[in-house]
Amino acid sequence: MKVKMGVDIGGLTLKNPVMSASGTFGYGEEYAGYLDLNRLGAIVVKGLSLSPREGNPPPRVVETASGMLNAVGLQNVGVEEFIDKKLPYLRTIETAVVANIFGESVDEYVKVAEILEGAEGLDALEVNISCPNVKKGGITFGSDPILAGEVTRAVKGVSRLPVIVKLTPNVTDITKIAASVEDAGADALSLINTLTGMSIDIEKRVPHLRNITGGLSGPAIKPVALRMVWETVGAVSIPVIGVGGIMNASDALEFLIAGARAVQVGTANFINPSAAADIVDGIERYLSDTNLDDINGLIGTLRV
Amino acid sequence: MTVKVPPSFEKAIPGQFVMVRQEGNTTPFLSRPFSIYSVYPHGDEIFLEIFYKAVGKGTEALSRLREGNFLNILGPLGRGFDLPPSFGKIVLIAGGIGIPPLSFLAQRCSEENHGAEIVCYLGAANAEMLAGLDRLKGICSAVEISTDDGSRGYHGPVTKLFQRDMGRYAGDDVRIYACGPRPMLKALQGFLKDRPGVCQISLEERMACGIGACLGCVVRTRSDGGELVRVCKEGPVFDIGDIDFEE
Repeated sequence: MKVKMGVDIGGLTLKNPVMSASGTFGYGEEYAGYLDLNRLGAIVVKGLSLSPREGNPPPRVVETASGMLNAVGLQNVGVEEFIDKKLPYLRTIETAVVANIFGESVDEYVKVAEILEGAEGLDALEVNISCPNVKKGGITFGSDPILAGEVTRAVKGVSRLPVIVKLTPNVTDITKIAASVEDAGADALSLINTLTGMSIDIEKRVPHLRNITGGLSGPAIKPVALRMVWETVGAVSIPVIGVGGIMNASDALEFLIAGARAVQVGTANFINPSAAADIVDGIERYLSDTNLDDINGLIGTLRV
Repeated sequence: MTVKVPPSFEKAIPGQFVMVRQEGNTTPFLSRPFSIYSVYPHGDEIFLEIFYKAVGKGTEALSRLREGNFLNILGPLGRGFDLPPSFGKIVLIAGGIGIPPLSFLAQRCSEENHGAEIVCYLGAANAEMLAGLDRLKGICSAVEISTDDGSRGYHGPVTKLFQRDMGRYAGDDVRIYACGPRPMLKALQGFLKDRPGVCQISLEERMACGIGACLGCVVRTRSDGGELVRVCKEGPVFDIGDIDFEE
């Protein structure tokens, strides 16, 4: 029995619910030798800014219990070079391509979105609002419902593509941010981004990361991510994409059962470059084994 | 540690590395990078060797493995050394646990009947820590030893030992390869600043993915603009003059 894996994410049609998480998959081509990129539902590329960005000084990564911290600092080639040098390769594959974008002010987000409007080969935008708003004293866009709504509305205003907004978990109540972003017109939400964390070298008595703090990802954050996805699904009507510590199909299924319409696989790619494809296979097997012929029959079936 | 690997590893070049982990564990979580110490055929099979010191969770876990256990190995990865021209002189400078890629290079040169004279400078904290000495003695025409505590050989850093002999290596037919702690490489960079192209180094940096995607392992170069490059992808081998050791 051929199971139907297609899902709709606010206008973005995916052949299956497995996407790569931004920042863990480069611009796609880095993984071409390790798996068939066409197996994925979508590739979400590294976050793009208006100008190329160098990121933070090293050391930038450190392992933690069942996870890792990263303080890469959003290093990217910039939106123009992405269009010129990275997008052409992505146009040769059949998988949907989602451009993740960020900025330091609402204007910057808008400018990046406008530049991408003209680019061919994109299927959606994902807006990373875990960035500090330098115009408002550095408060993270995603931590304030009003700012989060403002940046969503502004990007939505210039984009014909479906707009997914990626939420930060470093807030008191993610459902408030989610509701505000939904009101502002977002087509879908993805959550969670990394949790802010720290690790110390006890021999040298310095932080392991030059940036001091970094973002925690990996299995350690899955319970938090799952809880936030479940809460958000209950608070909004737009599709929710689940991200956070998904290492295998079983993890992915937890998010789908909790109500996520799709999932993103991130840190798992570092451990196993073909993780995302393995997860697609595993979900298919589960559906087949449980006699479900359509993934949509599984989504949101959590019994509470 | 020796691992039986598929034939695809035969193409490994000295200087390349592998990412190693045990299936199904979340502790340690990330794969660990190791320079390839050797790759060789034995009968119908291919074997890969890595050489490490058990210093942390990852290496301690590896040291508990026994014959018959399985490992996940991703590789060969990264940019390897440029093999030196034939019939010249090759100088290897290894500090601490820097010997594996250089030993592999020496092995390849001698296998290919290279003809070049290979001299190795090997430095360590003390006599117990002199890694890979026996194998080197079998391949190199001379091995010069230094220890920080003087328990064997020259008493002092390997850079000082090399510096003492540097006059012998002034010819155009010399190629130098080095691997070791950053301060050692920085000192060498200073000694060799007027000889562009003479020396390649292998760097290490904390890594997560090993394949160029996570951008965790960057180092700064001395090019215009001080570009950041990935040790796992643009490296681990670099021209010694390219790297900015200040940061």
